[in-house]
Amino acid sequence: TLAIMIMISREKKLNPSVTKKVMGIEIVVNEVNFVRKCIGADSSQDDLWGKLICTNFKVSFITHDALCKQRFQVANRLLGEHDVPLACVEQVVTVNDAKGKQKVLGSNQKLKFNPTELILYCKDFRIIRFRFDEAGPESAKKVCLAIAHYSHPADPQLLFGFEYVGKQYYGKRMNGMDPGGGVQTPLFDRPSEWDREIKRTGAAEWRVCSVNEGYTVSPSLPEYFVVPVSLADQDLKQYSCFFTTHRIPLWCWNHPNGSALVRMASIADPLQQRKLDQRICSAITKSHPQRSDVIKSDLDKNLPNIQDIQAAFGKVRQICVIEPFEESEEKWLSSMESSRWLEYVRAFLKHSAEVVYLLEGKHVSVILQEEEDRDLGCVVSSLVQLMLDPHFRSLIGFQSLVQKEWVMAGHRFLDRCNHLKKNDKDECPLFFLFLDCVWQIMNQYPAAFEFTDTYLTVLSDSMWIPLFSTFLFNCPQQRTENSIDFAKSKCIPLGEEKALRFPPVWDWSQQFTLKDQALFNNPMYVGKGATCVQNGAVKSFRRTKKNYSSTLRGMPTSLRNGLMDGDTLTRRSSLVLRLRPDFSQIREVVESPTERFLRDWFSRPADLQGMLLPQLLPSHLALWRLYFLRWVPEARIPKGGPVTAYHKLSQVADEIEMLQNKLRQYKGVTPVSSPGAPPSDHSRMYFKASSTSEPSPEYLSSSFPFSPVGNMCRRSILGTPLSKFLNGAKIWLSTETLANESV
Amino acid sequence: ATWVCPSLSYLWPTVGYSDQWDDLNKRFSPPLTAKDVTYICPYIGALRGTLTVTNYRLFFKCTDREPVFVLDLPLGVVSRVEKIGGASSRGEVSYGLVCKDIRNLRFAHKQMEDSLRKSIFEVLMKFAFPVSNGLPIFAFEYGQVYPENGWKVYDAQAEYKRQGLPNESWRITKVNDHYELCDTYPSTLVVPVNISDEELKRVAAFRAKGRIPVLSWIHPESQATVTRCSQPMVGVNGKRSKDDEKYLQAIMDANAQSHKLFIFDARPSVNAAANKMKGGGYESEDAYQNAELVFLDIHNIHVMRESLRKLKEVVYPNIEESHWLSNLESTHWLEHIKLILAGALRIADKVESGKTSVVVHCSDGWDRTAQLTSLAMLMLDGHYRTIRGFQVLLEKEWLSFGHRFQLRIGHGDKNHTDADRSPVFLQFIDCVWQMTRQFPAAFEFNEYFLVTTLDHLYSCLFGTFLCNSEQQRVKEEVPKKTVSLWAYINSQLEEFTNPLYVNYSNHVLFPVVSMRHLELWVGYYIRWNPRMRPQEPVHQRYKELLAKRAELQKRVEELQREVTNRSASSERAGSPTRSITPVQTFV
Repeated sequence: TLAIMIMISREKKLNPSVTKKVMGIEIVVNEVNFVRKCIGADSSQDDLWGKLICTNFKVSFITHDALCKQRFQVANRLLGEHDVPLACVEQVVTVNDAKGKQKVLGSNQKLKFNPTELILYCKDFRIIRFRFDEAGPESAKKVCLAIAHYSHPADPQLLFGFEYVGKQYYGKRMNGMDPGGGVQTPLFDRPSEWDREIKRTGAAEWRVCSVNEGYTVSPSLPEYFVVPVSLADQDLKQYSCFFTTHRIPLWCWNHPNGSALVRMASIADPLQQRKLDQRICSAITKSHPQRSDVIKSDLDKNLPNIQDIQAAFGKVRQICVIEPFEESEEKWLSSMESSRWLEYVRAFLKHSAEVVYLLEGKHVSVILQEEEDRDLGCVVSSLVQLMLDPHFRSLIGFQSLVQKEWVMAGHRFLDRCNHLKKNDKDECPLFFLFLDCVWQIMNQYPAAFEFTDTYLTVLSDSMWIPLFSTFLFNCPQQRTENSIDFAKSKCIPLGEEKALRFPPVWDWSQQFTLKDQALFNNPMYVGKGATCVQNGAVKSFRRTKKNYSSTLRGMPTSLRNGLMDGDTLTRRSSLVLRLRPDFSQIREVVESPTERFLRDWFSRPADLQGMLLPQLLPSHLALWRLYFLRWVPEARIPKGGPVTAYHKLSQVADEIEMLQNKLRQYKGVTPVSSPGAPPSDHSRMYFKASSTSEPSPEYLSSSFPFSPVGNMCRRSILGTPLSKFLNGAKIWLSTETLANESV
Repeated sequence: ATWVCPSLSYLWPTVGYSDQWDDLNKRFSPPLTAKDVTYICPYIGALRGTLTVTNYRLFFKCTDREPVFVLDLPLGVVSRVEKIGGASSRGEVSYGLVCKDIRNLRFAHKQMEDSLRKSIFEVLMKFAFPVSNGLPIFAFEYGQVYPENGWKVYDAQAEYKRQGLPNESWRITKVNDHYELCDTYPSTLVVPVNISDEELKRVAAFRAKGRIPVLSWIHPESQATVTRCSQPMVGVNGKRSKDDEKYLQAIMDANAQSHKLFIFDARPSVNAAANKMKGGGYESEDAYQNAELVFLDIHNIHVMRESLRKLKEVVYPNIEESHWLSNLESTHWLEHIKLILAGALRIADKVESGKTSVVVHCSDGWDRTAQLTSLAMLMLDGHYRTIRGFQVLLEKEWLSFGHRFQLRIGHGDKNHTDADRSPVFLQFIDCVWQMTRQFPAAFEFNEYFLVTTLDHLYSCLFGTFLCNSEQQRVKEEVPKKTVSLWAYINSQLEEFTNPLYVNYSNHVLFPVVSMRHLELWVGYYIRWNPRMRPQEPVHQRYKELLAKRAELQKRVEELQREVTNRSASSERAGSPTRSITPVQTFV
C-alpha cells in the first residue's frame, strides 16, 4: 500500500546517496548540501551535517552521518526524524549575521542577501535552526525561498493531500480501499451511522433527515443529520433560510433521561426569531419523553471569542518556547495567568459542566447557540458528551465524537488551521483547545479514557500533515467540491464516488506501525468489560443499562434534596448573617444550583463509567506539559516524568493480557479478536512485561515519545546578534519584513 | 495486629464516627463536652453540634445533617486560640483556632452558661499548650504499643557502616559522646582520619555553636563527600583559623578524585556578609586554598515564615479564582522551594558529576543546611528513597544534627508569635513531594506517607519530633517514654507504600528545577477545601491491576496443575476423554 511505499522510500532517503527522487509522488523542489543543523545548546560539536531538501510535502534534512546521534523512539511513516511538513511551518526566517540582516519570508518573495542561517518556527512548537556556513550561498537561498513559497500554497488543491490521494487513482486500478481506510470509526457521512447513534442513545423521537443531500439547503451542513420527528423536511427547508448560512439546528446527543443536546446557528431576522425559536423549541419538547423544557445556552455571550483564544495561544507559545528559559522563570506563573490560556480552558470546561447540569440535573433539553455554530459549539457539545457518555471516552467513541461534532458539523479546519496562510485573522486553535480540555479531564481521571495523552498530542500534530480528510476542509461540501475540481483537472475518474478518498486521520496505520500505535492505549482504562478490584475481590464493570441508569437515578434525588429545599438555604444563610459581626472572615455561603450540583457530585466516589465532571478550581487545572514543553531541552526530565509510571502500568497490563490469553488457551478457546482490534498475538501495550523488575529504559523522559534533541535551545542564541532580534517578541505573529535592521 | 492510628483525618470531611475513638478516649483525660456549639465551616456554613475536648484532641460532631459531620483534630496543631467578640452583640460568644496545618477553625456558643464557656476555653488553652502550663506533652502519656520499636530505626554506626565508614580516610570519633564538643550535634561523628580530637576542639572554637564540619554522606565510588557545618567565626576583622583551614584541606585530601573543594553557603551573599557583624561570616578564598565558595541565595527562617503566612491567606479557606497564579506567585513559596531544590541539585551534581567533595553550611547549620544535605542525599543515594531509608535520613540529618523542632514548631507553646517558628521542615517535605512528582517510580513511599509525617510533626502524639537536639532527647528520655512515629508507620507499611516503586540501584535523580515543573502541593495545602478532591489515584489503579494479575496467575496455575494431573491420570487410564471443570473467565 501507499503507506508502505512511503516508508520504503524513507528508508532509502536515509541512504545519503539517494537524494534525487524522494518518493513517487513527492517532488524535490530544491536542495542544498553541507548544511549544519544546530543541536547543541552551548557548542556546535553536536550539530549535524547534511542536506536540506524542500519538497512539495515537507522540509527534509538528511544527515551525512550514518550513525545519527539523534534517535526518536517513535517513527512516523510519513516523515523522517528531521522532517517538517510544509503545512507545519509557521514562519520562515532567514538571517545573514555578518550583514546583520533578517527577513521573514512569505510566498513569492525576493531575498536580497545570502542567508547564513534559516530558522523554521513550526506550528507544533518546534523551532529548528540551520546554518549555511559551508553551503553554496545560491542554493541555500533557493531552498529558503522554496520553503517559504511552498509553505504558502495559493489554493487548497496545492496541499499535498491532493497529490497523495490523486496518486491512488492513477494507473493502477482502485484497490477497493474503503473510505474509512479499514477503520472502525464511524465517519457520519451515511444515514446508517446516524441511525445507529440514535438507537445507541435511545433517541426515539428523532430521525435522520436527508434534506441537505447534495448540499442543496446549506453548504456547511453535512448531507445527513438528525432532527426532531415532528419537523417535516418541508418545514426544515422553510426555516433554513432564516438561520445564519441556512444552518438548521443539529441534534448532537440524547441523555438516557430523554433530554437532548442540540446545536444551532443564530437567527438573523429579529422578526422571525421568536416565532422560529418557539417552533424549534416545541419540536424538541415534543421529542422529549417527559415533554421537558428547552433551555438555550448562548455561547457567544458566555465564552471567549476566536480572536481571544488565538491571542492566548500565541502568548502561551511565546512563554513556553520562545522566551529565554531562565529569564521567563521568575514571572512564570503570572505570565501563564496573563496569557489567559488556562482561564479559557477553564471557561469551556465550566460552561460544559453547566450544560451537563441542565441535561442531567434539570432533565431539560439544551440548545447550544452560536452565531454560525461552527466553532465554540464544537468544543462545548463534544465536552458535554465526553462528560456524560462513557462511550466517547473509548478510542473509537472519541474519534466518532470528533467526526460528528467537528468534521461533519463543519468546523472550518482549513481556515482555523490557516493551511493556506491567507488570512491570519481566521486562524484559531479551537480544536487544540478542545484537546487541552480533554487532557484536563484525563489528568483528573487517569483511568477514565481508553487513550493516552500521547494520543492527544499525536492527534494534534496530525493537523499539520495535510493528508487527512479530517483536517483539510472547512466542511464536507468543500471536500466534495475540491475533489471534483481536482479530479477534473487531473483527469481522475471518480466513478461512483462523490469525492476523493482522503484517508481520515483515524487510519493511524498511515502514520504509525501497530507497535507504535500501542502508545495510544491507556493501561489503566476502566472500560466496557474491564475489571477492577475492590477490597481484594475482582469484579467486572459492565456498562449495563441498569448500572448506568442507577447512577443517574441516584443523582436527581439528592439534587432534589438540595434544590427544592429552599428552606434550608434561607435558614443557613440567616444564621451566617446573624453571626457575621463576629466573623468578618466568613463569607456568606451562596451557591448557584450548578455549584450545588457539582459539590453534590464531588462528595461521592466517581464512577468512571458514568458521568464524569472535572474539578474546576483554578488550582486543579494544569499546564499540559507533554504538549507544551516536549521540545524544550531544558524542561526535559531525564529518566523521569509521568511516563515512568506509564511504563510500569503497561508492563502489568501486558502481563494480565498474557495470562488471560493463557487462560483462554486452557479453556480450549481460540482467542477471538474483536473486529478492528489488533491481532491477538499483538499486545495492546507498548511496554512489554519482563520477568525481572528492571528499571525503566534510559531513553524515557518527560518528553517521551518525543525528543527535544534537535530543537533550538534558547541558550545557544543568547549572546549572538540574533538573540535581541528574537526577543523582540513580535516575530511569531508578524509577517513584516524586518530586513535591514542592523543589530 | 494492625494498628489504626488515631491520627488526623487525611481526607476531608471525615465521614462517620470512629468507634475506636471512644476506646482511646478512655485512656485519655476525662473529656469535656459541650452541646449546642456552632462550628462555622467556611465551606458549608454554620453547623450545630457537640464539642468535646480532651487532653489530646478536639472533637466536633454534627448529627443533624447527612452525612454526619465530624471534625477531629489533635490539639497539637493548634497554634493559637483567640476569643472573638465578647458577650456583646447578641450574647454569642465565640473563639477561633489558628492551626499549624493551614486552616483556621471557628466555634460559637449560642447563649451559654458562662461557666461552661469559660471552661471550654480554659481546657483548650490548657491542653493545647501544655508546655506553657507546665504539663507534659501528650506523647509522654500516649503509651500505645506497636509491634516495632521505632526508636531502633536509626543506628548511626549502622548507617555509617552502610556507607562503608570508617575507611582509610574517615574515622568515627567519640569526642562528642557526652555532647561536650557540641551540644547540638549527635554523639557519633565522622571526621577525617588525620585530624585528632584535640584539633577538632580547636576547630569547634572557630565554628558557630561548635558545629564543626562532619561527614554526612560519602560517594561509594568516587569517595567524594558531603560534609556539613555552621559558619566560620570570621567576624568583621576577618579572623582566620589554621586548624579550620587544615581541616577543610583534610576533607579535600580525603577525596583523591579532585583537587578542589566546594563550599556551599546556603545564604544570600548579603546575609552572609551581614553575619560578620555578629562575629560570623564565610570562608574567604584566600584563606582556604583550592576551595571555591558558592552562595545559594536561600532566605532565612523569617522570610520563609512570612511566605507561608501569605500562602495560607491565598489558599485558605477559598482560593480566589481570577488571580490564582499571580496570587500564588506573590507568596514566593514556590520560588523558595525552587531555590532550595536548585541548591541541593548543585550539590548533588558537584558530587556525582564533578566527583568533588562539598562542604555545606548556612549560619548555624541546622535549618537550610539540613534541607540541602538531606535533599542532595535523596538525589544521590537510592537507599534514602525507601521508606526505612527515608526515616534514617530524617533521623540523621534532621533529628540527630539538631534541627530545632521544638523551637521551629513550638510544640505545646502558646507563644505563637515566637520569631523562632518557621516552616523549614515543611519546605523540605514539599521539596521531596516535588521530586516524587517528577520521578513517580523512584520513591518507595507515597504522598500519604509525606502528609502523615507532616500531620504528626504537629500532633504531639509521637515523640519523634519533640525537643531540639539529640542531647535533649536523651536527657528527657524521649525514646524511653514516648512512641516513635516510625513505630506506627512501619506497623502498616502497605498504606504508605508507592506500588509503582522500582528499586534502581546507583540511580541518581536530577530533578528539573524549574517553575515549569514545580507545582503547589494541592493535596496538602488545599486539602481542607471540600471542593478539592484528590486526583483519581494512579496508585490505586495500579494496585488493582496487581491484584488482578495475582488472581489470574492463581487461575493459570490451577489449570496447569489440573492439566498435569489429567494427563497423568489419562496415561494411567489410557483414555483421552476431556473433562475440564468449567472455568469462568471474567473478561
